[in-house]
Amino acid sequence: MLNKSNTRALCIGLLASLFSISVCADALDEVKEKGELVVGTEMQFAPFDFLEKGKQTGLNADIFKVVGEEMGVEVRFLDLPWASVLPGLSAKNFDLVGGPLIVTKERKKRYRFLTPIAEATVALLKRAGDDSITAPEDIAGKEIGAGQGSAQLRALEDYTKTLNTPVEIKGFVDNNQAYAALAVGRIDAVANSLPNIGYVAKQRPNTFEVVQPPFGEPAYFSYMGRNDEDSRALLDAISSIISEMKADGRLAELQEKWLGQSMDTPTGDFEPAM
Amino acid sequence: MIDFPLLVQNLPQMLTGLLATLGLSAVALLIGFLIAVGVCTLRLAPQPMLRRLGGAYITVFRGIPLLIQLLFIYNFLPRMGLGVSPIVAAVTGLSLCAGAYIAEILRGGFLTLSPGQAESSKMLGLRGWTIMRRIQIPQVVRLTSPALVNEVILLIKASSLVSVVGVAELTRVSQNIAASTFLQLQFYFAAAVLYCIVNVTLALLGSLLEARMGRVRI
Repeated sequence: MLNKSNTRALCIGLLASLFSISVCADALDEVKEKGELVVGTEMQFAPFDFLEKGKQTGLNADIFKVVGEEMGVEVRFLDLPWASVLPGLSAKNFDLVGGPLIVTKERKKRYRFLTPIAEATVALLKRAGDDSITAPEDIAGKEIGAGQGSAQLRALEDYTKTLNTPVEIKGFVDNNQAYAALAVGRIDAVANSLPNIGYVAKQRPNTFEVVQPPFGEPAYFSYMGRNDEDSRALLDAISSIISEMKADGRLAELQEKWLGQSMDTPTGDFEPAM
Repeated sequence: MIDFPLLVQNLPQMLTGLLATLGLSAVALLIGFLIAVGVCTLRLAPQPMLRRLGGAYITVFRGIPLLIQLLFIYNFLPRMGLGVSPIVAAVTGLSLCAGAYIAEILRGGFLTLSPGQAESSKMLGLRGWTIMRRIQIPQVVRLTSPALVNEVILLIKASSLVSVVGVAELTRVSQNIAASTFLQLQFYFAAAVLYCIVNVTLALLGSLLEARMGRVRI
């Protein structure tokens, strides 16, 4: 038999199962209580997040495995197209962004960055064997692609202003569309962070080649969360685990595994060049 | 040109994505059809207020692109304390949108029936509900079946948009594999083939159904 209060409890229960009702607890408490940390990311950002034999793999998966173990929670990755990631973070659909993202002045104003995990200095990827580009300045007068709205595209814009002949910059929905356009010859090079294009060139050496040296200002990759009181303790906790991994060499090991070399990254707060 | 071992290796992933596509579309179709019956009833109601209400629903859910509806449901509702899971957001968006389109298809079917039919049925002593069930609905289903099959196929293709709320359906899975293997064309091609197989099958079923039901003479 259902009396009035039972019915009400049932209704609330049904509602709660449909909608995850947000209560006013700290994000860290919530994560611990649920036993689950949710990371919003895009599974198309090798070598940080990508698929291998249908399974998520990469530097992010390895770092968050440690984070999950130390916090005693499961880590769940939510795969979203990049355009949907930042709105989802603001809407609290997940706890932080995997990515990682380049730390920039603009982003720092609105979001909270954790301890950087890799260098992100921007360089160029060209077609293998293309002799017309042997140094960054050779892109003068050519068509270059980069991810639409990315910090890498902005770095490219800044750099091309220093060249005498203008460069035609093409924005792509994501970097992989840009790589595809480069492979078929619709553009002459792609500007992206060195770890990303280094990995691409290593996977498809017959198609792609990295133009050394990088042209951009030194930049760093980091995970990012909401810049509010609610998230502070959670992000502090994750950030300090990453700092620990950096201090005891575990991060350097993972960098070597995924990025081919260990990298020098800032430990504390720093002022980004971009 | 095509790397078959990699294709075979990733095929199970793609089939899981296809299952998600089909499951989502089926649920959305079912809920969308129920919504459509309601909205169509409103649109054909004798009261102007109800007709306007039905019209407003269609204006909103047919007028706004599905992509924007999905982003709105997933990223705006949580700000009002209604956090929905990706799958709920996806089904909601698809159903609301399909409901608007199907309602108009059904309305078109009902409008084709001559009012004389209902009048003569009434003269013969049939009640309103019986007229609907025995006389009108069978004709509407036959009349609108090409348009309905069309809508189902459109819905399946539109479901590729739900990746923006974090649901891994066929298109998203293919994109991820394409991005991870840097073999863009072959995985998009494979996805195209899978969509085609499903939709050609549906179109065939549609024609079989039509042949079985026979023609309607109005």
